[in-house]
Amino acid sequence: MKTLLRLAAALAVVIAISLLWVGLGGSHRQGADLSSAAYSSLPAAPAPALRIGRPERLSSSRFISRWTTVRRPTLARSRPSASAPVVTELSTHAPEGTPNALSAIGARTDARSRVWVEVRLPVLPNGTRGWVPRRSLGAYQTLDTRLVVDRSALRATLYRDGKTIFSAPVAVGTSYWPTPAGRFIVRSELTRYASPFYGPVSFGTSARSAVLTDWPAGGFVGIHGTNAPQLVPGRVSHGCVRMRNSDILRLARLLPVGTPLLIR
Amino acid sequence: MDEQRDFARFLNAVDVDGAIAEASHQRRLALSRRGLLAAAAAGAGALLLGRSEARAASGLSANDVGILNYALVLEYLQASFYTEAERSGALSGKTAQAARVVGATERAHVKAFQKLLGSKAVKRPLFDFQGVTEAQQAFLKTAVAFEDLAVAAYKGQAPKLQSSAVLAAAVGIHSVEARHAAWMRQLFGVTPAVNAFDKPATKQNINRIVASTHFIVAHPKMKARSKPQYTG
Repeated sequence: MKTLLRLAAALAVVIAISLLWVGLGGSHRQGADLSSAAYSSLPAAPAPALRIGRPERLSSSRFISRWTTVRRPTLARSRPSASAPVVTELSTHAPEGTPNALSAIGARTDARSRVWVEVRLPVLPNGTRGWVPRRSLGAYQTLDTRLVVDRSALRATLYRDGKTIFSAPVAVGTSYWPTPAGRFIVRSELTRYASPFYGPVSFGTSARSAVLTDWPAGGFVGIHGTNAPQLVPGRVSHGCVRMRNSDILRLARLLPVGTPLLIR
Repeated sequence: MDEQRDFARFLNAVDVDGAIAEASHQRRLALSRRGLLAAAAAGAGALLLGRSEARAASGLSANDVGILNYALVLEYLQASFYTEAERSGALSGKTAQAARVVGATERAHVKAFQKLLGSKAVKRPLFDFQGVTEAQQAFLKTAVAFEDLAVAAYKGQAPKLQSSAVLAAAVGIHSVEARHAAWMRQLFGVTPAVNAFDKPATKQNINRIVASTHFIVAHPKMKARSKPQYTG
């Protein structure tokens, strides 16, 4: 009798579990049907007006350079430290009256969390570098152009992202007044002046003659047109880079101020 | 008109030399700063874009063009910030990785906005981040502020969009900006998600915050008419 009762109880438990399982499954299926019906009655989402493309990774171009301007008069130092020796004083404007443009070639943070920027300085000897407080400088601007003046080949070549986009013959300094070699910056563009000697357009650079140190405004080297095109190419100038007027006008359409300049 | 007036005020606050307002390809499309301000002052239904140009080529209303340009300026701000930080090489570890990833998406946003707006897209302003891209903690602090700002700005403008297609896109960008905000907050050491509800920010508040940073600056004038004094 006891065995029969146990069997009946076990059977009841199995039946109850089966009913519960079927019940749960049934209600689950019913719920899915309901939500599916509700979902299908919803209006379709509008297509977005913007198609956002893939994330744009920065190009690793080795031709990118950075330049800035002097925002407030400051001292350039030999190391990124307020106690380091002063190399030179920098004013906010170049002799041409334009903001004083500098090539920025590095940055470092000092022990007091102040950012210092390493720049090429427009001083003699050419090639001098110094460290300037970041707060004394303006916005960074980046370029992928590079101007190369080859004194042996008597030719100027402008590159954009490594590709030649301009090339023209030039005249450079004589052996007495040589065009200085080194890395500089194109720091201004002058137009609409009345001086046929400099042609219709001229570019100021941070390169300085090591010989004509008493020249007005400090003996800076320019890149300009000429009223004596028959002397181009040649070694005839006081250090400036001269081009035929048609070439300097063509260059002016392609050369942004701030472009690094290599004279070799 | 409210959106156009708001955008005019926004430009007035941040466009220090009128460069932003200059339409990329067609200046006549009247997004000049002076034109915007004049139109805002005139009120009374004066359209910023000419009557025939009230709808952009892509079918956008003038209202939505104003909002999209407003968003584009904020995207320019963010994209330029991360780009400069990445190029500086001053960041390290997880922060450098986050700057790379977030910068790539912000640049994608800029590209998409420029493509959608076409000739009506405002130009990229010049940004002077004053060294905050070159020091890790300063970078993170600013990144948190920018991302929180973007999230609040999108939230504030989304309900005002007339086109549901633009709204769909804005919602998609908004959630990405929110992820950026959480990521930067975590890296900076502050709680990524604090509130049960985020309040939107008005344009006035965004204007005030952006202008107070002085990160948007005038382009230096590197051309002059003075006579050369070079060695010759």
